[in-house]
Amino acid sequence: MTTLRHLTAAGALTLLMGSTALAAPPGDTLVVGLSADITTFEPANISSRDNANIARHIFGTLYSISGDGSVSPDMAENLEISEDGLKYVYTLRQGLTCHDGEALTAEDAAYTFNRAKDPANGFTGNTPGFVFSSVGFESAEALDDRRLQITIGRKNPIAFGLLAEVYVHCKDSYEKMSLDDAASNPIGSGPYKLASWTKGSEVVLEKVGEPARMNKIIWRIIPEASTRSAELIAGNVDIITNVAPDQINAVNASGNAKVQAVQGTRRMYVGFNLSDAFKAMPGGDAIQDPNVRRALQYAVDVPTICKQLLNFECVRATGIVNPPNANKSLEPYPYDPAMAEKLLDEAGWPRAADGTRFTIRFQAGRGRYLNDQNVVLAVAQYLEEVGLKVEVDIMEWASVYVPLIRKRDVGPLFFLGSGGALWSPLYDMTDLARVESGTNYTHWNDPRWFDRWADIANAKTPEEQRVIIDEMLKVFYDDGPWLHMYFQPDFYGVSERVDFVARPDEKVYLFATGLK
Amino acid sequence: MWTFIARRLLQSVVVILGVTLISFIALQIGGDPTYLFVSERATEEEIAMVRAALGFDNPLHIQYLTYLGNIAQGEFGNSLSYRQPAMEIVLGALPATIELTIFAMTFAITLAVPLGVFAALYRGTPVDGGIMTMAMFGQSVPGFWLGIMMILFFGLALRILPISGHVPFLLPLLQGEFSKAFQNLPNSLYYLIMPGIAAGFYSLSRNARLVRSSMLEVLSQDYVRTARSKGLTERAVVIHHALRNAWLPVITMIGLEFGFLLGGVVVIETVFSYPGIGRLVFNAINQRDIPVVQAAVVVLSVIFISLNLIVDLVYARIDPRVKL
Repeated sequence: MTTLRHLTAAGALTLLMGSTALAAPPGDTLVVGLSADITTFEPANISSRDNANIARHIFGTLYSISGDGSVSPDMAENLEISEDGLKYVYTLRQGLTCHDGEALTAEDAAYTFNRAKDPANGFTGNTPGFVFSSVGFESAEALDDRRLQITIGRKNPIAFGLLAEVYVHCKDSYEKMSLDDAASNPIGSGPYKLASWTKGSEVVLEKVGEPARMNKIIWRIIPEASTRSAELIAGNVDIITNVAPDQINAVNASGNAKVQAVQGTRRMYVGFNLSDAFKAMPGGDAIQDPNVRRALQYAVDVPTICKQLLNFECVRATGIVNPPNANKSLEPYPYDPAMAEKLLDEAGWPRAADGTRFTIRFQAGRGRYLNDQNVVLAVAQYLEEVGLKVEVDIMEWASVYVPLIRKRDVGPLFFLGSGGALWSPLYDMTDLARVESGTNYTHWNDPRWFDRWADIANAKTPEEQRVIIDEMLKVFYDDGPWLHMYFQPDFYGVSERVDFVARPDEKVYLFATGLK
Repeated sequence: MWTFIARRLLQSVVVILGVTLISFIALQIGGDPTYLFVSERATEEEIAMVRAALGFDNPLHIQYLTYLGNIAQGEFGNSLSYRQPAMEIVLGALPATIELTIFAMTFAITLAVPLGVFAALYRGTPVDGGIMTMAMFGQSVPGFWLGIMMILFFGLALRILPISGHVPFLLPLLQGEFSKAFQNLPNSLYYLIMPGIAAGFYSLSRNARLVRSSMLEVLSQDYVRTARSKGLTERAVVIHHALRNAWLPVITMIGLEFGFLLGGVVVIETVFSYPGIGRLVFNAINQRDIPVVQAAVVVLSVIFISLNLIVDLVYARIDPRVKL
């Protein structure tokens, strides 16, 4: 009996002591709840958005892109681009240092780029896998202590913005570290340093420089959406990403937090795969005709899908480019099923006796985008209402759908999102830089689009370039390979105690965030 | 007995080989994992380079045999996501899951046995009905639903338990950081209450029903009647005569459930943001991080097989009818 009493007392004491863990975050600390795990702090291997959001606080970049798409100097104070567009010479700010105390010079910045490029390191992150392959990066060298020259293989109007995504770090520390060490012990150049990392649980950053308002940022990994919302409402975290649409009202009603909904830059669309292989499939022949594709634009009520399934009032996309940079003369296609039926009749696809015009397969992945499965089912339903028989094929995202997408072997209809940006229309348009581009999942090959890239490269003024862009976007709007949907909304839960303002580009940068 | 153990160990090697082969094939069915590690804009040459760097350019049987050769030397390769030794990552996540499993099983067994005994002793009464209704509920509700309800009630409404997270105890203990481990212990237990109960509730329900039916069978045996006729107290009859025999099927079940919980608490770990091996493997499968999946499969297989062996040995020890 005595033993039982001791055990009971110990249990009560445990609870009492444990209850201190329920305290709200201290005044100098921000706590952020993320949905995805963090896998590495190797700057050249980072690729996921959550991972990049944390890394950006640890590492500086040459230039910064703000939430509205404007570009400002960061570690560099000046940039000169050679006349042929192949050499970028950055002048670094004075007084830069790394977290190991070493001065950061152009030699360190050059080392950063060349290290990421080195095939011996086997890096596959955003820097070598996306930035370098997009710009055709060749080499980087220090012209002196402050001037860094980057050479790219081909003239690229968006190279400047892409190169701003590279995380700069110091040579000496990284030369001493093994690749394993570098993956978990970043020696950065940004305003925060990594204080601790508990895999699968949390990352703690501590302030070491400016700009930074809070002394500590704790990034907690909370994969389940309802748990993230509960932690926010309970006041244990200050900001959460990816609030589930069905939890928005609960968060707003809590009195402790509000949901900030922003129209993101990710372009959601239904693609028409126009390849020869799909042309032979049912429905694949019909969508070859631009008139059929245009007819189907009228068949889908996109604003209603946004409102009912995403809990967001969206404006339908007019094309591949984010709204601030879109062709302003284009109006979103209205929902007009009668018009869709009329155009389909005119295109030579009347309803048969059973009411069907043609059968078509619609493929999609599950669980990657906001409420994606239901969005796909809703689109299929709208298409069926104008006489298509849609065979929906929803697959597991990572292991089944992604390999098919990467092989451009999905369709004839498929649902997909593509990350965009606000700082340049060309960034969004380069998904379709070439017919054979890996991101041209539709195999679209209209010369009125693809032949104009040379004109853009040769444009003498931004105004001249803008005219060409608008003409291309008009072609894309009329006869393009996308059924235009929406820009995916992002929902951030924000505690009433902090002054965080969500950005449309999925970036969670907390340099200027603090307590109200 | 030693012959039995030796035979089981040999069988275990075959089982582990089979498990690695099945998991290897299952991971390959989805197609070339290289595409998950390259940019959408990568050229064919870049994709080929990454494929070679990740070792996916060899024929499948070569990949598998290379993998077997490596694990024979204790080398499981580097995680494709973390870029660190896969086994190190798996063993780093294992202690958290062991904590959760021990807590859940302790909760389940310490309640299941008395509840099952009471239900059997008071068969047909409201006590029996109440306990069996609870057991039916526990076996019917999904773990994630129970977890979320507990979060809403104890974490949000009452605010007496932490909603998510984990404070490690076992890991610092194994690393020799004893003061840190024992300093963490109160918070570690505190953070385990909700996930532990959510993970163990199904086991509690099943074992309570098992103990009840087993007790009912034993209580009707002649030797129990003899014990009573000798004038023993009911307590002595139940504890020393009936329960000892009613335990046998429960012990088998405990061993299996312990192994099952070690690898199968992914939903609970996700709901409570608990950084255990279930969530690690789930993420690794999604990211096609084959070395991590394979290392976890081997570790979990070894644990599962060991637990089964231990259960068999314990069974033979407590049941004289069983000869090994």
